[in-house]
Amino acid sequence: MTHSFQASMMATRRGVLLSLGVGITAMALPCGAWAQSTNAILKFGLSTFPPTVKPFDNTGGAANTVKLMIYRGLMGYDASGKLLPELAESFEWLEPTVAVFKLRAKATFHNGKPVTAADVVFSLNEITKEGSSAFLKSDLTIITAAEAVDEKTVQITLSSPSAIFLDLMASYCCPVISAESTEDNAIGAGPFVMKSSEKGVFIELERFDKYYADDQPHVGGIRFIAYADENLRFAALEAGDVDLIEYLPWTQFDAVEASDTMQMRSTLGPYMFLLFNVTDGPFADAKVRQAVGYAIERQDVVDAAFAGRGVPLYGFPNPQGSPFDLTDPAHEWTFDAEKAKALLAEAGYPNGFDCRLLATATYGMHQDTASVVQAYLAMIGINATLDLPDWGTRVTAGKEGKYDLAVHGSSGTYNDPDSLWSLLYSGNPSYLQSFGFKSARIDGLLEQGRTEVDPEKRKAIYQDLATAYFEEVPQVPLNWRVQAYAMKKTVTGFEALPGFLNGASAYALDDTKLG
Amino acid sequence: MLEFLLRRLAAAIVMLLVVGTIIFSLLVIVPGDPAELLLSTGGGSATQEAIQNLRNEMGLDKPILAQYFGFLANTAQFDFGTSIVDGSSIADNIALRLPRTLEIIAVGAILALLLAIPAGTLAGLRGGGRFDVIASAVNALLTSIPGFVVGTLFIYFFAQVLGVLPAGGYVAFAADPAQHLQMLILPATTVALHLATIIFRMTRASVLEMRGHDWVRTATAKGLRRSLVVRHHILRNALGPVITVAGLQLGILLGSTVLIEFVYNWPGLSGMLVTAVEQRDYPTVRAIILTVAAIFIGINLMIDILYSLLDPRVRLQ
Repeated sequence: MTHSFQASMMATRRGVLLSLGVGITAMALPCGAWAQSTNAILKFGLSTFPPTVKPFDNTGGAANTVKLMIYRGLMGYDASGKLLPELAESFEWLEPTVAVFKLRAKATFHNGKPVTAADVVFSLNEITKEGSSAFLKSDLTIITAAEAVDEKTVQITLSSPSAIFLDLMASYCCPVISAESTEDNAIGAGPFVMKSSEKGVFIELERFDKYYADDQPHVGGIRFIAYADENLRFAALEAGDVDLIEYLPWTQFDAVEASDTMQMRSTLGPYMFLLFNVTDGPFADAKVRQAVGYAIERQDVVDAAFAGRGVPLYGFPNPQGSPFDLTDPAHEWTFDAEKAKALLAEAGYPNGFDCRLLATATYGMHQDTASVVQAYLAMIGINATLDLPDWGTRVTAGKEGKYDLAVHGSSGTYNDPDSLWSLLYSGNPSYLQSFGFKSARIDGLLEQGRTEVDPEKRKAIYQDLATAYFEEVPQVPLNWRVQAYAMKKTVTGFEALPGFLNGASAYALDDTKLG
Repeated sequence: MLEFLLRRLAAAIVMLLVVGTIIFSLLVIVPGDPAELLLSTGGGSATQEAIQNLRNEMGLDKPILAQYFGFLANTAQFDFGTSIVDGSSIADNIALRLPRTLEIIAVGAILALLLAIPAGTLAGLRGGGRFDVIASAVNALLTSIPGFVVGTLFIYFFAQVLGVLPAGGYVAFAADPAQHLQMLILPATTVALHLATIIFRMTRASVLEMRGHDWVRTATAKGLRRSLVVRHHILRNALGPVITVAGLQLGILLGSTVLIEFVYNWPGLSGMLVTAVEQRDYPTVRAIILTVAAIFIGINLMIDILYSLLDPRVRLQ
């Protein structure tokens, strides 16, 4: 009730200004649109307009959020990050390499047809087929056969046991789409159906009445509105233009905490780190990279670039919600400038050297992180010149190794150390990794960890990996970022998923209520 | 006359060809790969194979020269093609967004003229007077505050503190006229303030100059009413340069409303251009720049024609 009162107050005040300022008095103003039933439309402020919503491609957080509302896979997560069957009703491992999924009887595509085993096989083939740009294409090459046993049973055979296969099946890049889908129209089985959209502006979804969960979702639809400017996104929430926003700017956490009308949900999600060009120059020496690790007071990075909303990260970036505790104080870079200088001297650079530090001006947090790093490196004699191109140029520079030292921030996609694969596996180089860095030891441990299914043995493998990470320094970790969603107090049921799953928090929209 | 028109038209086409070629070459030189960017939005990464597959799908695997001639041939047929990012029709997107940019410019210009011409005239007529001093000071202040700062302050004040206007965004007029107008107020006012400072200064200076001419003194001496002198003898002469400057500014605004569109989340053409540049959506960038260039060249062409009608000597040159 409070809500509709506020809304009508706002409408009146807007009306006054309109009539005074523009002279439009007879205008019927929008009011009373705050239906508190389950037919209400949730207005969600996105950080960017999704470049595409192709089901299998990974085109960023905003796209993944929208995709999760339209498409679902065999597996999914609840709000605490627990892995659960989604379009599948149950699964079992017949053998360590053979998984059988039973599909839900009620699972239905947006075209009204039931989700069948044939559709699952079709979807997996779409991901792995020749010429696909799917995010999981290489990960899913472990599938040697996917067969429809009957209408509702799928049997998937893997080339080797996999500790993370079920997580892959829950990925926002691995939904089940109808075999009747076309290139331009992928038919999903998620809780909402695409209603309308305008490129760069909004995407409007409407509730799918035949969604398998009878009591979900609790809103009639979602209107995603893109606000590229983070402060405007927050202003839109504060002004009541939207109900919920992603990527609450760190500088606004205090305002939300102090507010009577807004609240937030946050978890430690992505982390910031430094990359090196190890092909030549000082950074080719692991000792110099270690020196960088010791040279930076991480709390200052957190304070300067993230308004204090983060946690220093001194060693291996094991995500929040990981099945293993890999804490190992013996292999951490706590701030120690003397040790850093000693390591530099040992490597033959007692007086330091000059280098190029690449970041991007597109993201303030990257730029601010780079400034703090630059200041700390100067203290041990490393004079870094900042290079701050736009994001597109920065990605290319990273890929081509046009830097000595680079700032980056990233996240895995599930809460397991294996999720660091794309950041650490040097067999698949990208701008996310130190240029020219190769380590058979790290690659080997990652491979072992992925194919080992015994939890104790896996833990030992990842402990070794954490040690290798410290000794070989493929990257220098800086800090975890607190990633927050902010919403009106009238929005209930939404949670931010923990750790690397923060980007999959859209799963919690199933339980979100308005009013 | 016909020959003159044809000559100017041919020159306009050559200019567009040059613009097109320059923008094509620039985009080739600028680092950044649209396929890699699309698959690394938000800091992730795809495999090299996936990136290459997407490049092929986008048509970027073709040789540069083939891409260039394909671009020329299609543009000559007014076919801007589709966005390489999402496959949507570029012509449709421009048709959707250009009117919105024109809308804030037009409404802003009308507000600016309504505000600045009377104020400038008053200040000019009483140069050095109290109103002139205050108005000129306010004008100097506004000139020195960039539009995006004004925008941010407006949002803070009107949306966050007072809660009387939306923080930004866009709703089509047809969908909800009242909300459309609410959302138009702040961006149009921001454009207007910037434009008003320029028009005010021009009007004031021009009126000051005209005020001292002989014919004004004569008109006053023969006993004409003050208001008549101002309207007929001062303003009519003073407004010529003002209109020229205002017109020029409108043209410049077409390319420079980008910050205002960004601050207010107003989905116009400039915002589309910036997103396209960020994504390295080459065909979209080329199409938008060619469209804006064509509008500029079109305006110039019209001015040339007008001049030639007024002054036969231009035709002979």
